[in-house]
Amino acid sequence: MNTLNQVGHASPRIDAQKRVTGTATYTGDIRLPGMLYARVLRSPHPHARIRSIDLSRAQALPGVKAILTRENCDVVWGSGDTRNKRYLFNNPVRFAGDAVAAVAALDRHIAEEATRLIEVDYETLPFVLDPEEALQPGAVEIQPGGNHSPNNRGERQPEVYRRGNIEEGLRAADQVFEDHYTSAHVNNAQLEPRVAIAQWEGDKLTVYASTQGISNCHTEIARDLNLAPEKVRVICQFMGGGFGNKNQCHDFDLMAALLAKQAGVPVKLEFTRKEDFLSVHGRWPTKQYYKVGVKRDGTLTAIQLRGYSGMGPYRKGSGGIAGIEIYQCPHVERSVTQAYTNIAVSANLRGPDYPQGVFGIESLMDDVAYSLKMDPVDFRLKNMTRKFNDQTPYTSIGLEDCIRRGAEAFEWKKRWHAPGAGSGPVKRGAGMAMGSFFSSMGRSSAVIDLDSRGMYHLHVGVTDIGTAAKTTMALIAAEELGVPLEKIDVIWGDTDRCPYSVGESGSRTTTHTGYAVVEAARDLKRQIAEKGLPQGSQMLTATANTNPAAPTAARYSFVAHFAEVEVDTELGHVKVVKYVAAHDSGRVVNPLTATSQVKGGAIMGIGMALHEELLYDKATGLPLTAGYYGARVMTHLDAPEVEVLWIETEDAYGPFGAKTLGEPTIIPSVAAVANAIYNAIGKRVKDLPITRDKILGVLA
Amino acid sequence: MKAFANVNPRDVKDAAAQLRQPNAVIVGGGSDLLGMVKEHLVQPDVLVNLKAIRGLDQVSAKGAEVHIGGLIPLDSLSHEPLIRKSYTVLAEAAESVGTPQIRNAGTLAGNVCQRPWCWYYRNSFPCFKNGGNKCFSVAGENQFHAIFGGGPSFIVHPSDTAPALVALDAKFRVAGPSGERTVPAADFFALPKVNASRENVLARDEVLVSIQLPRAGRGVRSTYHKVLDREAWTHAVVSAAVVLDMDQEVCKSARIVLGGVAPIPWHLPKVEAMLAGRRITPELAAQAGEAAVEGANALAKNGYKVPLTKGVVRRTLLGLATKA
Repeated sequence: MNTLNQVGHASPRIDAQKRVTGTATYTGDIRLPGMLYARVLRSPHPHARIRSIDLSRAQALPGVKAILTRENCDVVWGSGDTRNKRYLFNNPVRFAGDAVAAVAALDRHIAEEATRLIEVDYETLPFVLDPEEALQPGAVEIQPGGNHSPNNRGERQPEVYRRGNIEEGLRAADQVFEDHYTSAHVNNAQLEPRVAIAQWEGDKLTVYASTQGISNCHTEIARDLNLAPEKVRVICQFMGGGFGNKNQCHDFDLMAALLAKQAGVPVKLEFTRKEDFLSVHGRWPTKQYYKVGVKRDGTLTAIQLRGYSGMGPYRKGSGGIAGIEIYQCPHVERSVTQAYTNIAVSANLRGPDYPQGVFGIESLMDDVAYSLKMDPVDFRLKNMTRKFNDQTPYTSIGLEDCIRRGAEAFEWKKRWHAPGAGSGPVKRGAGMAMGSFFSSMGRSSAVIDLDSRGMYHLHVGVTDIGTAAKTTMALIAAEELGVPLEKIDVIWGDTDRCPYSVGESGSRTTTHTGYAVVEAARDLKRQIAEKGLPQGSQMLTATANTNPAAPTAARYSFVAHFAEVEVDTELGHVKVVKYVAAHDSGRVVNPLTATSQVKGGAIMGIGMALHEELLYDKATGLPLTAGYYGARVMTHLDAPEVEVLWIETEDAYGPFGAKTLGEPTIIPSVAAVANAIYNAIGKRVKDLPITRDKILGVLA
Repeated sequence: MKAFANVNPRDVKDAAAQLRQPNAVIVGGGSDLLGMVKEHLVQPDVLVNLKAIRGLDQVSAKGAEVHIGGLIPLDSLSHEPLIRKSYTVLAEAAESVGTPQIRNAGTLAGNVCQRPWCWYYRNSFPCFKNGGNKCFSVAGENQFHAIFGGGPSFIVHPSDTAPALVALDAKFRVAGPSGERTVPAADFFALPKVNASRENVLARDEVLVSIQLPRAGRGVRSTYHKVLDREAWTHAVVSAAVVLDMDQEVCKSARIVLGGVAPIPWHLPKVEAMLAGRRITPELAAQAGEAAVEGANALAKNGYKVPLTKGVVRRTLLGLATKA
């Protein structure tokens, strides 16, 4: 791979100093003159019909300026549900945390006090928490038409993928393995809680948002509030993380806007941490039933998955269970059913379909390898994907190198051993897992203005959700223009000042918007060649609206993770002691921030493997573990050193051949840890998270 | 958060008097209380701010005894040289609490009197601790609940320093409106069958002012072993506070108190008797572990605490006895 001047060299974030010195203005830091503070009243029941709401005491409280309920607000939150009509305030309420009312007042204490003075008469309804139980005859109907959430074609049928003939594949096997796994609802647990500040100037609405995409947020606010697009402005200058649950516009953006309209002054709506955990969304819990057919020599003949995803009561995410596509296999059948349940809503969380599915399939494939007396690394090298769905060539694939070089760096041969070997009580074990992730290409745009002082003003509609997108865009522009990084002035995070950018989800910012930056820079270079550099008050403006595609190939990123754990077999304690992550994301634009992405993703996956679960009380349908303490989110002391290996494949697409990165980082992490625990103790825990009680349970 | 008044008492007696106001509660470091106020678990009209009283945060040697002001922050306590050296179990317990921020604000007395961290209680279920008459854990999610001393409430006492203080045979100085009383640490905590809504004998208008530690003998060594659910910032899943009075390799006497397993610090006198006058061998430590869980009553999901407790007792004993 050729060396470039800017891209590929470690660059600190262009806004690093502001962020670490506390001078960056995050949305929550913004205070507008006369601004009110809002609070939301939420359902204390998992499922209930609201008979009546009495606002009289709340309205009488001095300082209360506006109240919204379903009575005076029938706005539909379009992005809150892709199948049903989800209002900002729903009746019936369908999970503990569903919004009932929102109040704006002079300060947050008054607003909160007012929510407590609202008297709601609930008729409680039966509820169901488990996706399979929700599909049983006689289960309470959560949405009209039943709890089987419609698939992409609008049918109440599972999402199905097939190739070959699964029965034939199972018959052709020398041995068939069958097992099932479950994964829990876990929260995105981003540092910055939800916050929106809405301000009306005449008929123009400005929303200071905390969003993973100002363009989506803008379009959707305009749509849901029935406003002309030019009457809405969305600003997000600094953003404190989302991991998929700040995609789109959210109910709090709309509530803030409507409260501000009613009150005639700006309104700030900020969630508490507990609200953030309960009322936005987390990763969907799954139940996964697999059958795998295999020849004596370890060749796969069949993979079958029947899966269930609990979506909460609204369909906000895909509910997919991915992972089996990483294997080459002639006969495959995947059938996943999405069910409505009365728990917190489930939708995107970093690699939405993947870590839970990879945990399931990679746990089972590990068992297959052990059973055939094959090294799990060799088993994966033998059976890993070569073509997408065994059909379409990849634009580039570095998976084999990820596995081989990762295993080498990890010293796999030295660390891996027969399961449960070792005299204990503290046993070590090694595990690995692999994964792939769609490396999206598509629509985005960029504008570059060049002034006569030689500054390049790069307008991109990114917000930078922690991925260092601003820095990435500046590096790409500097590279293509052949100018120093300091000459690039990035203008971001404001829909009145920036062109459309793809939402910062699907790990698409670098590949979509970065590509548009390259094209805009090329346009600018052409203009300079034609007209010369601008002089005096002159300015050159270059624009790009790009929508690239790879028509005959599949573009994917690949990854293999290796974990070594120490399991105290008496105390049930697990500690990850060594971790190697090998990634093929094509060319790495900024190794410094890319490495941070990998570390963050791996650590997030370890937390999902070992600790995190939004646990519900079965009798009441109420949550028990919302928040950082309850969810046992990883601390610094829990985080191992993560060694990152870059397998930089040459790829003909994307900006300088960059493929996607942010989400692949979590994909194999859960499974690698689970497999390492199995290698250590010789027993397999099949239900996430792998907590102490489960470890001591299988060892008892 | 509900509005409340803050009062700064002149002295301990005044604090006790202020506590007689309707709906008044004590605040020390506030690291837990303020969160509970925000969650509406506690809805006080008056906070009696003990930090206004000077001198309640000192460690001082009084003859052979050591007196520790209840308001000492946990972080300061854990770094106090005298405590570190002669009452190691207390220093280690204090430094195992929460996070650095919590230890900087949270006080010893606050930790001793901390309300349970049962997830039903903290999520406002109408349980015994929230004025109700039910323990939701019995038929619910009880993986962190009591295996000893439970019923009708099955909470576990959340404090790390409490088992250490019981193991050290500390005395608690309690001030009320009519004067002071001294309560042995072991008698300070109350089982739910005595009072299911509270965890100790402190009256509404009493203040835990200070704690007295008896003289530490020359052969005494001690330690606190805490099993956490991650590397930091959880309450004890199971913990053991162990104090051994050693004569060369022979254990003259032992004090063993468990955390995380019962609604009060769980003292093990039978196990202590087993150890007295004997050399602590791996076999004896294992027997002690077995004896430690005698009478354990696991609920549906906390059975793992039984082998865990065995392991913690055995290892902690052996580790301390063989410590160079």
